[in-house]
Amino acid sequence: MTTESIMFRLRRANPVPQAPAGDQADLFARIISSPGDPRLAGRVRQRPLGNRRRALVVAFALGVAALLASTAFAVSHWITGDVVRPPVTKREYRDAQAQLTLPPGVTWPQFHITEPNSVTSRGGGGARAVGIAQNAWECYWVRAINRGDSAAEQRAYDQLKGLLANNVIVAPIGAPEGWTPLPLPKHPISVWAHDGGLNYVRDMYARAAAGDSHDLAQSCRVNAP
Amino acid sequence: MTHQLDRYAAEARFRAVFSHLGAVAAYARRRGMRDADAIAAEVMTIAWRRLADVPADDPRPWLYATARNLVLAEARRSSRAIAAESDRAEEVTPEPEVLELDPLLGSALRSLSRLDREALLLVAWEDLTPSQAARSLGINPAAFRVRLLRARRRLRAKLDEASSGRRRDPKTHLDMETT
Repeated sequence: MTTESIMFRLRRANPVPQAPAGDQADLFARIISSPGDPRLAGRVRQRPLGNRRRALVVAFALGVAALLASTAFAVSHWITGDVVRPPVTKREYRDAQAQLTLPPGVTWPQFHITEPNSVTSRGGGGARAVGIAQNAWECYWVRAINRGDSAAEQRAYDQLKGLLANNVIVAPIGAPEGWTPLPLPKHPISVWAHDGGLNYVRDMYARAAAGDSHDLAQSCRVNAP
Repeated sequence: MTHQLDRYAAEARFRAVFSHLGAVAAYARRRGMRDADAIAAEVMTIAWRRLADVPADDPRPWLYATARNLVLAEARRSSRAIAAESDRAEEVTPEPEVLELDPLLGSALRSLSRLDREALLLVAWEDLTPSQAARSLGINPAAFRVRLLRARRRLRAKLDEASSGRRRDPKTHLDMETT
């Protein structure tokens, strides 16, 4: 038997020769209703645009620039960007730990920033802590559901509602990537794009509280740090 | 408005990625996943959230790599559950099963290292080119071609050995090859 015939034999033994086809419009709609990749916004903007559309975009950008340039502080913020080095981001992460609660038995993971010259938006360390706490409570909730611990389920739901209410801020429509509110709140916050993501997550928690925990379990797995 | 344009562009790009949903479900099913559709849905959710990482020109290697990670994670979870149920102290080696094949071929495939087996199956079942399969496994194409050739030879040797009735301890060979 040659190695070529081995491949032929393998191909013939394919247990699923044809990929299943079907209308998955519901799944597609459900996925795109969740928050997308925030990094993509900047890249997509770099695409060439038609003249008319480009003029509109430029006019909009000029309007935003004029608004920002209305104070000296805003001008400096616009030019330099409010970004910080890794030691500041790590300190923000540590400080946030004192203001957020993790589920029993969960500890804060180390925050590794491998590039010493990297910069992060101010508040990024706090945002990371909010994300970790959110995921930890989601997973705690899933475990509580699995073992039928309704008190723990309720506790997780309360904690997550509190996180969304107090530690998540939705950026204004058209805000640039890395937007942070000014002045920055003293408590840790996570800034989400204005794309319906917050409502989606609220709905997901409400569904889990009503007994449908499929998306919650998926979120727990997908967003693990 | 710019924000809306971004959103539409992202959705259009994701639609192209999403068209591979069936292929990803088939991948998971071929790796023995009972709930292959759930794995495929999870892969697509990850792809949407990390769309900037998904190669726009050829998303399949990325999608299969993500599916493989989920399949392995699922296998680890199942192994832990089985170990807990049977109250075994030792750790069970996580190994997703290849869907039921003819016994000779299935046994020969299982005797290969995970990476060798995956190299063969990505080309034979997922119909990837060696370059695409190399990207999916995160190794360079030249190294992949060498691995694929050796994997074919090992599989052939296993099949020849089994069909001629000779019996050897497969572990002796595999331990040296496992990566």
